[in-house]
Amino acid sequence: MKPTALVTLTALAFLTGAAVADDEDYIKYRQAMMKAIAGHMGASTQIVRGKVAPEGDLLMHARALAELNAHLPRLFPAGSDFGETKAKPAIWDEPAKFEQATTAARDATAAFLGAVEGGDAAAIAAAHKDVGQACKGCHEDFRQKDD
Amino acid sequence: MRHGVPPAWVALWFALLAGTAAAGDGEYLFHAAGCAGCHTRDGGPALAGGRRFDTAFGAFYSPNITPDRETGIGEWTAQRFIHAVKHGTRDDGSAYFPVFPYPSYRLLSDDDASAIFDYLMTLPAHRQANREHDLPWWLARWMIAPWQWWIMEAPPEPPRDTEQQRGWYLVDALGHCGECHTPRKFAGVSDRSRYLGGNADGPEGDKVPNITPDRKAGIGKWSADDLAYFLETGALPDGDYTGSTMAEVVDNTTSKLTRDDRAAIVRYLRAVPPLPGD
Repeated sequence: MKPTALVTLTALAFLTGAAVADDEDYIKYRQAMMKAIAGHMGASTQIVRGKVAPEGDLLMHARALAELNAHLPRLFPAGSDFGETKAKPAIWDEPAKFEQATTAARDATAAFLGAVEGGDAAAIAAAHKDVGQACKGCHEDFRQKDD
Repeated sequence: MRHGVPPAWVALWFALLAGTAAAGDGEYLFHAAGCAGCHTRDGGPALAGGRRFDTAFGAFYSPNITPDRETGIGEWTAQRFIHAVKHGTRDDGSAYFPVFPYPSYRLLSDDDASAIFDYLMTLPAHRQANREHDLPWWLARWMIAPWQWWIMEAPPEPPRDTEQQRGWYLVDALGHCGECHTPRKFAGVSDRSRYLGGNADGPEGDKVPNITPDRKAGIGKWSADDLAYFLETGALPDGDYTGSTMAEVVDNTTSKLTRDDRAAIVRYLRAVPPLPGD
């Protein structure tokens, strides 16, 4: 084999390997982002349900939730549908339906942030419930259950 | 008061009315029995059936239970409905396949089954013909009658503790939780020794969790409040939200129960024998 061919082959192998690693890394990143969302949501729930009352924290969680959820659609690039993931193929097979679900999460978290800024307890509780509905709604169709 | 009816009597009357509504209201029982999920296909008309269930025993399609006279149950009587739901028996005397959870529904009272039927008859009719099941070559409907005789002979007893009876009725009879959360042994029979102990081979390929109070494998670390809030909203204690078929159950059933009934379920689940493993 000519040296150039060898170099090309090695480069190709390297590139393909890198691409695969990329997708797996993306799955890890996505899962960490989802855990971040769950963390802020779980913390918000404790506050909204009156279990704890740390001064000013709810606004931080609401901001984080709104920002993180605006990133949702980007967390599922084509190709990140294999390996250690609970993401269902429907995410890539039914993109319009999935977009609806991520848009619902974005809108619900934006509304929750608005309610927290507004300060009305009943509105905050209602908006918080809507965020939960959006989480559950998306998981219902697009996440494989294995826990 | 001008007409001389003491307000206390009026209050008592309404309390009694509310009490009977919670016990016998067909719509409430319909939600508690979780009929809607299985009998509606994704994006299809409500309760017109056609949802596909892939199982080890073939692919089954749920039937139309709207009051349509030709394709639904519009011509049925309450008696026929009770025979179907509680005994798994079709009008011609043959058996329903147990993908229809009559091993659980047989624990319903006749009054409650009848109330669900009356409620179904008030809903809009949808014309949608039932699909034939895709059965493997070795399975035929006639085999189900002996199967029923075998597994239907000994229904589980309600708990002696009266405090636990409502929760038991909601979990085992109406909610039919064990159909997914209890694993099956030979011939698809529920393995009572692993009651609510989780099922590695649940519906739609899902792994179904252990919901006994085992601290490691089950929900033993959840507080009563965690559990009640989960049944109301689908929120897990770590801030995650449930998905898949349980999200449907929360939407269709547990979020629609009264606070008292959710508390009864929680009380019951926290008292069943804890089982390790899943």
